[in-house]
Amino acid sequence: MSDFFQELAIAMTAGLLRGSVYALVALGIVLVYRASGIFNFAQAEFGTTGLFAAYAALELWGWSYPLAFAFGMGAAITMGLLTERLVIHPLRNSSKVTLLVGTAGVALAAIGLQFWLFNETLIMTMPRISEKYFVTPWGAQVTSQALIAAGVLVVVAIALAMFFRSPSGLAIQAAQQEPVAAELVGISVRRVSMMTWGIAAALGGLAGILTGPILSFTAAFLSFGAFAALLPGFMAAVLAGMRSMPGAVAGGLLVGFIEQLGSLSLLSDTVPGAGAAMLFVFLLAALLIRPQGILTRGAAVAA
Amino acid sequence: MSTDAEVTAADTNAGATQALPALDGTETTQVEAVSDSPTPPEERHRLTGAGLAARGLVWGLLAWFVLAVPANVFSPFNLGVSDVGAATEAVIFGIVGLSLNVLLGYTGQISLGHQAFVGLGAFTSAYVVVDLGLSFWFGLLIAAGVGALQAGLLGAVSLRLTGLYFALVTLAYGAFTEQTLLGITAITGGEGGKSAPRPAGFETETTYYFLCLAFLAAVIFFDWRLTSSKTGRALAALRENPRVAASYGINVKAYTLIAFVVSGAIAGLAGALLAHHDEVIVGQKFGFQLALLFVLMTVVGGLRSRSGVVIGAAFFALLGTGKLLVMIDKPLGAIGFSLTDFVEGTIGLPQEFVALVVGPILLLITITLYPGGIGQQIAPIREWLLGRPFDRHAGKVEEVTVSDVRA
Amino acid sequence: MSVLEVKDLSIHFGGIKALQHVNLRAGEWEIVGIIGPNGAGKTTLFNCITGFYQPTGGEVTYRGRDISRLPVHKRSGLGIGRTFQNVGLVKNANVLENLRTAQHLQVRYQPLAGMLGSPGSFAEEKRISRRGGQILELLGLEDVTHERVADLPYGVLKRVELAAVLATDPDLLLLDEPGSGMGPEEAESLGDLLLELRREFALTIVMIDHHVPLVSRVSDYVYCLNFGEVLAEGTPDVVKRHPEVVRAYLGADETDEVTV
Repeated sequence: MSDFFQELAIAMTAGLLRGSVYALVALGIVLVYRASGIFNFAQAEFGTTGLFAAYAALELWGWSYPLAFAFGMGAAITMGLLTERLVIHPLRNSSKVTLLVGTAGVALAAIGLQFWLFNETLIMTMPRISEKYFVTPWGAQVTSQALIAAGVLVVVAIALAMFFRSPSGLAIQAAQQEPVAAELVGISVRRVSMMTWGIAAALGGLAGILTGPILSFTAAFLSFGAFAALLPGFMAAVLAGMRSMPGAVAGGLLVGFIEQLGSLSLLSDTVPGAGAAMLFVFLLAALLIRPQGILTRGAAVAA
Repeated sequence: MSTDAEVTAADTNAGATQALPALDGTETTQVEAVSDSPTPPEERHRLTGAGLAARGLVWGLLAWFVLAVPANVFSPFNLGVSDVGAATEAVIFGIVGLSLNVLLGYTGQISLGHQAFVGLGAFTSAYVVVDLGLSFWFGLLIAAGVGALQAGLLGAVSLRLTGLYFALVTLAYGAFTEQTLLGITAITGGEGGKSAPRPAGFETETTYYFLCLAFLAAVIFFDWRLTSSKTGRALAALRENPRVAASYGINVKAYTLIAFVVSGAIAGLAGALLAHHDEVIVGQKFGFQLALLFVLMTVVGGLRSRSGVVIGAAFFALLGTGKLLVMIDKPLGAIGFSLTDFVEGTIGLPQEFVALVVGPILLLITITLYPGGIGQQIAPIREWLLGRPFDRHAGKVEEVTVSDVRA
Repeated sequence: MSVLEVKDLSIHFGGIKALQHVNLRAGEWEIVGIIGPNGAGKTTLFNCITGFYQPTGGEVTYRGRDISRLPVHKRSGLGIGRTFQNVGLVKNANVLENLRTAQHLQVRYQPLAGMLGSPGSFAEEKRISRRGGQILELLGLEDVTHERVADLPYGVLKRVELAAVLATDPDLLLLDEPGSGMGPEEAESLGDLLLELRREFALTIVMIDHHVPLVSRVSDYVYCLNFGEVLAEGTPDVVKRHPEVVRAYLGADETDEVTV
């Protein structure tokens, strides 16, 4: 039985670490939703774009780590701004569902470009910020890289919370809730929209660049990206009722943990792809039982 | 309920005021007719001999392309086995496109896990034929049933969620199916895949192509009757304005479920056809990228446009298997230009990824600039082929409307 | 037996009491008018009667049958037809298609038969198209038969909506501001049309409108609502002169009747 608890502890640790990445993705998703009511299906691809750009700078062109990092972030943010310019803005009066399809198209385009430029099977490894790792008392292996990611998450979450209380942050919320009134008091809805997407892309880029180095990857098989981080990120955002930033953080961690539960030998031996199964069941339950979110603060408004 | 009032308009002069027949036969109130134009807008367009001949020629060309060329009959192209196989896949994708069009186009529900319906249909049919020893036709039937069942269950879920959240659920369901359900090696044969033999009499590529083509024709007919009957109208109403639909007596929940069941059944059928086409199917084939591809080809094909969706599906299928470039190159070879070389050499894009790069770009162009997709572009020709006058502005679509859902 | 009876109906949304203990009756072949300032709860009342809202108290009875729990589409099936304030039609379809959609419950084949293309379904489609066309002709709309609804002007749309609701073969017609956007002459014509339709189709009509002259002329009985309550009821003359009603419309007793 202690084996089970040890497994559980390991799952918890791994889940929390993995979850910090999902939390960063979720923050981006919630930000975009609060600012424009759109489900952004390209959120994870902001990350992969940043990751690949940083990789190119670091490994192919031999830049220093900080420079490569900055380049990666720049690429991600550029992608965000381009998305806003070419897809979101032209479609601003279309239905939300159309915009969702639009962001899915952006995600697919990013994936296609990555496959093309980096060749599907080229195995890439990126050096981590720190190669150190240590083992917890209960046998979980924790890399410094993962800890750094978690640390960044905390800092970002606090920064975002403060940002939303600032004039710019309030402007974003005003523009989403009452665009006409916002324009009348001098808030440029256009500028706000670009700011939103830029920040969301930055969040995504951070998540991607920090996670990439944890494992070696190929364009087709990422531990990040649409195939791996988008769905958990959205689940976390749903748990936060698509509104709450702290909820997104907590949600990300929770989702990470639930996914890792699928790796418990109890489950993974009997159910193939237990992680995906757990996520599906959990998402369904969360949406059907409490659509306004479980991790929201105070009076939640049903979306 | 009052009896069906037999209203006969005695005078039908447009532009004149209309007398309402009163119960006692005397004329009382006048109701002004709406406009003064003398010709009703849709008059039977009279076809001239030349018009008929021209249309007949184009129809003939289409028939030749679809029927004769793959059979290498009266055809200068010598199509090999893999070419015909690619054509079959294009046809099957066409069926999938029509299936997704019912959900996405007619009912306004986003399905990002549609590959799950197709995949489970494929493995069901394989299982029924190989493990249960039943005939291929039973396999098709049961595969359609399994597809209908899955879709029906998801449909029940959709009734409780708004559109965007439901999209998430379909996404999770697709992932769940791919990793869990299709991972059950007992049913899916694991890495090695599962075998799905061809039915008796249709073992060759060419015969199987015609079999699938027959099914496509059947699905097109079915879809046509769907949209021309009360179900199609009910879906169009509930997609746009569920309140008005309900006030016309339409049971919105029931018809939404009907749409899901129909969509799932067709997808399951397509899956079964696909399984026996490949003869060995693997679970990995039905991943998330297929879900996006399906949405892509339906939207680019043009939502709610049957012909557009089929052409869009065929286009992407052929592009994906690399056949499209080869096809285009055949006539281009005469002038010494090879599109394949250009793309692979000059642009540096490996041929397998063309679909993945071109697809999303087309999707974004469709959504922003040409919302009606391929369907909108071919609408003038289509209308002309069906005997109506050539109208350059036929099929104009203002924007891609999936549904009016606020989530 | 009355056709429609609303007994002690109340509904609140959060803290807002939209309707409070409303009682209303419509007898066979009556035309009942509902007037009242904006926000009085008139459309809310319609929504409760047709089933879009669930009242928090009271009941709705149709021909003696309690329909308070029935879903919307079933109430339509019983013969209750309704128009909407901002024109309830399928905007992306053409006028005739709307008329066919409205006849949903009149169509005699099952959905599956329709999808499989049974001979009966083809015949039925012809029949309802023909019937739709006849109703359009009745209202002078045959010229817009194939026009897309979204392209048509508001006034025409109101008439198309009327045609569509007539196509549902109703017994009880609930009209939500049929005269909106109309000048006095048009409203007069509308009044004539309504009287004629009542005779032709043996209808009971309940209508909300702001054209007090229109309502006065055609109604057998009038209710005035304000703040979710029935302020006054009676024949049109009585209600027009009722001091409460005058005050609600004009703010003070400036004249002794409402002529707006």
